[in-house]
Amino acid sequence: MPESRVLVIEADAARADNLRAILEFVDFRANVVEDASQIAIAEHRQQDWLAVLVGDTDLASLDEFIAWLRRDRRHPPLIVVQAKHELLMQRYDLDPSACLPLDMPVRYGQLSDHLKRASLLQMERDLGARPGSGPTGNSAVMRRVRKLIEQVAAFDTTVLVTGESGTGKEVVARAIHERSARREHPFVAVNCGAIPSELLESELFGHEKGAFTGAITARRGRFEMADGGTLFLDEIGDMPLSMQVKILRVLQERSFERVGANRSSHCDVRIIAATHRNLEDAIIKGTFREDLYYRLNVFPIETPPLRERAEDLPLLIDDLIRNQEQAGHGSVRLAPDAVNALRHYHWPGNVRELSNLIERLAVLHPHAVVDAASLPRRYCPDLPAGDAVTSFRDAAPAPIAADVTTAHAQPDPAASTTTLAVLPPEGLNLKDHIEAIELALIRQALASSGGVVAHAAKLLNTRRTTLVEKLRKYGLTRDDGEDGEAAVGAAVAF
Amino acid sequence: MTKVRTLLVDDNRPFLILARHLLASFVEIEVIGEAYDGEQAVRLAEELKPNLIIMDLAMPNMGGLQATRLIKAQDAPPVIVIASHYDDAAHREFVAQVGAEGFINKRSYENDVIVIVRRLLKEITDA
Repeated sequence: MPESRVLVIEADAARADNLRAILEFVDFRANVVEDASQIAIAEHRQQDWLAVLVGDTDLASLDEFIAWLRRDRRHPPLIVVQAKHELLMQRYDLDPSACLPLDMPVRYGQLSDHLKRASLLQMERDLGARPGSGPTGNSAVMRRVRKLIEQVAAFDTTVLVTGESGTGKEVVARAIHERSARREHPFVAVNCGAIPSELLESELFGHEKGAFTGAITARRGRFEMADGGTLFLDEIGDMPLSMQVKILRVLQERSFERVGANRSSHCDVRIIAATHRNLEDAIIKGTFREDLYYRLNVFPIETPPLRERAEDLPLLIDDLIRNQEQAGHGSVRLAPDAVNALRHYHWPGNVRELSNLIERLAVLHPHAVVDAASLPRRYCPDLPAGDAVTSFRDAAPAPIAADVTTAHAQPDPAASTTTLAVLPPEGLNLKDHIEAIELALIRQALASSGGVVAHAAKLLNTRRTTLVEKLRKYGLTRDDGEDGEAAVGAAVAF
Repeated sequence: MTKVRTLLVDDNRPFLILARHLLASFVEIEVIGEAYDGEQAVRLAEELKPNLIIMDLAMPNMGGLQATRLIKAQDAPPVIVIASHYDDAAHREFVAQVGAEGFINKRSYENDVIVIVRRLLKEITDA
């Protein structure tokens, strides 16, 4: 469960105040304690914090807290002041990715990097991926999948996992990694279809400083991050041909170049690829390289659609609810008529759809028993309809093309500031409102100075650094490590 | 005319106040509600049945990604656009994976929103 709260364990009151101020300034909520015994762990879940910042504190009470924290395999990372970093790494035998050093005095860039990493970890958890023991189910097809996993895990063989969306291809890949000799090394997943193609190469292979506009620092790619471990290339069927050549080369030669580099890097990575597409069709159409296909398809595993293993449904539901409870995300029960309705559904979104449904029911009907009538209509179309729900996209087309194409002039930004300064009859929150006005003026200044912060600061008669701080506070900095001077991005859809 | 019934989700209230004012000048958009975390968004999406949700990523209780997954599980789910100040490949990857239709930069919020809204309206007329 995501949370923008950071736990700070620091006995030195002045330093604790300082850390709190910095965190709050960049819009994180700080939860400060002097030592870990002040944390009522019975009332918390490990995921209650985005990260845990550790300064000077009593180690005895920290031991208990860290032991509790680590009960959750995907606990938030520790950010430890440099002086204590080595000590804590050794004392708790922590992975470097779970224990990040923090220089004192705090450097904004470093802290921000650490928090961004923590946020990405949290997003990964948020995606709903569970590091479980592998695919669930007693059906013959699932037993076969588990057998294949056991067979191939111990070898460095390249595996190609195929199956419809949501059938758990990543679950299979993780299960292989967990059972392999590489299990102590990273498992890195990349969804090749979800990354804009122009960013994919640098995301996979990394880049050198100055390789392209915006490459302010050198950066490791996912191949390097997965070194010694497993790289999961999901939706490989969506990868552009130009990238397929490069992947082929890595598979053949175990080497690649960072974007902008003139020397090759070696990598020791096991590749597991997956796709919901029929790659043989793609080869005929000319969108997938045949030579890459044969390199990947060394050991194929097919994940069956849920509708072909409806007998697994009750077991899967129990499993999902148990996971939900263990993670402290609430609980729910399904009445027999609801389970029956679900058994007759065709599950185009497969296990992922089921998992999202269970999570949704636990939020909307916490600790209740849900009957068929309370399920979304598509799961039980035979029941009398409740609320008539029409999709936006199904709505009757209205003759609005003219309105759309005769584009309205862009709104006058000044007007919005004026209307902001009117007291509505019901009253308002003065602090929030004043901040909204400040934010409106800052955006206008940036717009009229072409996004250049220094010029905008002049228009506002404020120091550039003050404006940069305010931009951070309002979440208007681009995440490029600079002062957010880059040009404004355009809307992008997938 | 058809208006796009829009739900705004963000835990930063000053930003929501401003967003309402910025969007008020577009006749195509009708803001029908606000939620301050993902859990509220899931409930309000069910209750209000908006056409469009513009959602922040990092929020207390439940963030934008989880909320997007759960809202997409409802009948006739709304179009969901994530508004974030983090804009890099990793964030776009996560956002695309949960089924959100778009990703916009908070810094060019109203301009990005209107582009998406007009595209949605055009989709309806072309349908």
